[in-house]
Amino acid sequence: MSPANLNSLYNDLRRSFDTNPCDIARCGSLLAQLKSALIEAGLLLPQGQKNLHDLTIARDILEIGAFWSIRAQDIPSFDRYFSQLQTFYTDYSSLLPPSEREFPIRGLNLIRLLTQNRIADFHTTLESLPIRADAIADNPYISHPVNLERWLMEGSYSKVWNAREEAPAEEYKFFVDSLMGTIRNEIASCEEAAYESLPLKDATTLLFFSNQSELLNFAEKRGWEINLSASSVSFAKKTEEKQEIPKEKIISAALGYARELEQIV
Amino acid sequence: MTDVEMKPSDDKAKLDDSESTPSHEIKTNIALIERGVVTLEPRFTHRVLRSLATLRKRLDGNVLRTAVEEIFPRESPVKGVLLAWLPPPEQNMDVDAASGRNVITFAIAPEPCPESEVYLRLLILHYLLTNPAHYARALELAQETVGIMQVLNRRTMDPLAAKVWFAVERAYELGAELADARPLFLAAQRTAALRRDDETQASLINRLLRNYVHYSLYDQADKLVSKTTFPISAGNPQLARYHYYLGRIKVVQLNYSEAHANLQQALRRAPPAKTAPGFYQAVHKFFVVVELLMGDIPERSLFRHPVLEKALNGYFEIVKAVRAGSLSQFQSTLSKYAAQFEADKTYTLIVRLRQNVIKTGIRRLSLSYSRISLRDICVKLHLDSEEDAEYIVGKAIRDGVIEGRILHEKGWMECGTQKGGYGPEVSEMFTRRIGFCLDLHNQSIKAMRYPLNAHRKELAAAEGARERERELAKEIQEGDLDDDDLGGDF
Repeated sequence: MSPANLNSLYNDLRRSFDTNPCDIARCGSLLAQLKSALIEAGLLLPQGQKNLHDLTIARDILEIGAFWSIRAQDIPSFDRYFSQLQTFYTDYSSLLPPSEREFPIRGLNLIRLLTQNRIADFHTTLESLPIRADAIADNPYISHPVNLERWLMEGSYSKVWNAREEAPAEEYKFFVDSLMGTIRNEIASCEEAAYESLPLKDATTLLFFSNQSELLNFAEKRGWEINLSASSVSFAKKTEEKQEIPKEKIISAALGYARELEQIV
Repeated sequence: MTDVEMKPSDDKAKLDDSESTPSHEIKTNIALIERGVVTLEPRFTHRVLRSLATLRKRLDGNVLRTAVEEIFPRESPVKGVLLAWLPPPEQNMDVDAASGRNVITFAIAPEPCPESEVYLRLLILHYLLTNPAHYARALELAQETVGIMQVLNRRTMDPLAAKVWFAVERAYELGAELADARPLFLAAQRTAALRRDDETQASLINRLLRNYVHYSLYDQADKLVSKTTFPISAGNPQLARYHYYLGRIKVVQLNYSEAHANLQQALRRAPPAKTAPGFYQAVHKFFVVVELLMGDIPERSLFRHPVLEKALNGYFEIVKAVRAGSLSQFQSTLSKYAAQFEADKTYTLIVRLRQNVIKTGIRRLSLSYSRISLRDICVKLHLDSEEDAEYIVGKAIRDGVIEGRILHEKGWMECGTQKGGYGPEVSEMFTRRIGFCLDLHNQSIKAMRYPLNAHRKELAAAEGARERERELAKEIQEGDLDDDDLGGDF
């Protein structure tokens, strides 16, 4: 494929991406063509010195691809685009002009890790961000996921709930649903431990449900007992099983000591 | 970063050498290296390298020039090469005369082995690195020395090579090209692994880890750790560094208990606090934060340690805030020392402490009250709303921080009593400690050294004793023939 062809496809992609609402199906087919064109031009995973203009275009295409994956709700695809972008963000950061989409994409990646409950990866990624740690608060794209994580960890779930409308970019909202699913499960497991029973009405508000039927569905999934006459929900107490004495472990440990002592004496 | 400055444990360096001049010491060292090469005994080379840290501080251009002049025969090509790396001498007649005199006495000395050359190169490299004007030349020298080492490929050079790599890293770092050194180190690490060159391998793994951690590439560092095995025969200084970097990687990944173990190992393996204060402080900074993240409070005496007192000042304030469970105090301390924490690369870790502050606060409340309203919790912990307080307490109960229940209708928390803990955990704890002691014993047995062929002497002595015994027995037997009283026993 010739560079001219690549260029026209690229312009095509930008046009269909920028139209509102964007044409997801068309972008997808364009992206697939563009990716093979990039591979032919050796720009998908660039090595060595390349033309700066070409690199910028390649980066743009991948960035659009990342956003498109979010809009198409295709998380694995976002993951792939993000790892391909790493080369541009890390190795070519000194050569290329900074991209205005870089931090939104990095932030999206952080949220993705958060919704998948990969907290360790979340922190590793956060450490390797190219900004100073005390400047994070000034960057809306990064501070949003960072705050969410902090609230989740300390248990301020209502703040997470309230922050769902404050997303700094449109794409962040695609993660809101799965994030809410995560926190609902978190809250549910906390409630199981912390309460014996709850009035239905309060349980509904605590779990951020808008009506009782949603709560009833949810309660069924978690195996809670609903007492409709008292209109309360009681949580199945986890019976504490009797702890077995780990015989085998103790025996093997004792034998091990005997052997070692034999060697010492 | 301060950790580079960590000196290998040199407290055992020969004290009697301290009075001698540096150039004399270099000559003695070269003799030791030669002996080590001839007898294939790395012990001698190690002895030389132990004194490196103290010697390094006393080096200057003239000392090195004299040493090179004296050690190499006049027409040696290596000598010219080495001298070319040194900056031109200041006009100093004394030294010139001295070296001139010595050259005559040493002129008949044979050409030293390549190990000696590399040792001198190492010294020159360290000397060049003391002056910012020479950084570029140091980098060139480093590259050339690495080339020479790789071409020679001698096993007797391995201990030296490990030290050279350290100097190479310094050269790259001071030349602000640390990232460029990565491919070089990776290639050398593979070669070292194939040649079973443990010391170089240990040194290079540490170089690489440091490189990754410096650029916050924890993912790559973690992959490196999982793909390589750190040689068990590596010396304590390398092992201490390795544990320090492991600890740093683990703490970023939220694996606090392992990070704690690693950092503790690093502290135990590290040279005494006075010898390597930089390393001691750097490890302690992370150690304190990790202890806090695990929910423990570091001992107060730690902050009174003369080496640590000043360096850990900010951390001490944080510890106080966490201990008191006061969010406002924590926030103000954090912003006050932000620059320091940022420089130490602990800022993001300390930010994570926020939830621990809350947990400690709730824990203190649960211990002192048997029943407390959510509103009071909210006020005491400076939380934003009662609603938050309810979720936070719920989470604390689920995470096992406190024992208790929330009575939603009445809006209070009832605190249960602590469970008395005597279960399998106790035996597990004992198993771990006993395992540690046994391991320590086995390790120290393995670490004992037996001089070569020493057992022969003992055998000979035993043989002699047996001989004497036999003679004695014979005599007695003969005597027995004479004297019937002694019969029966033999």
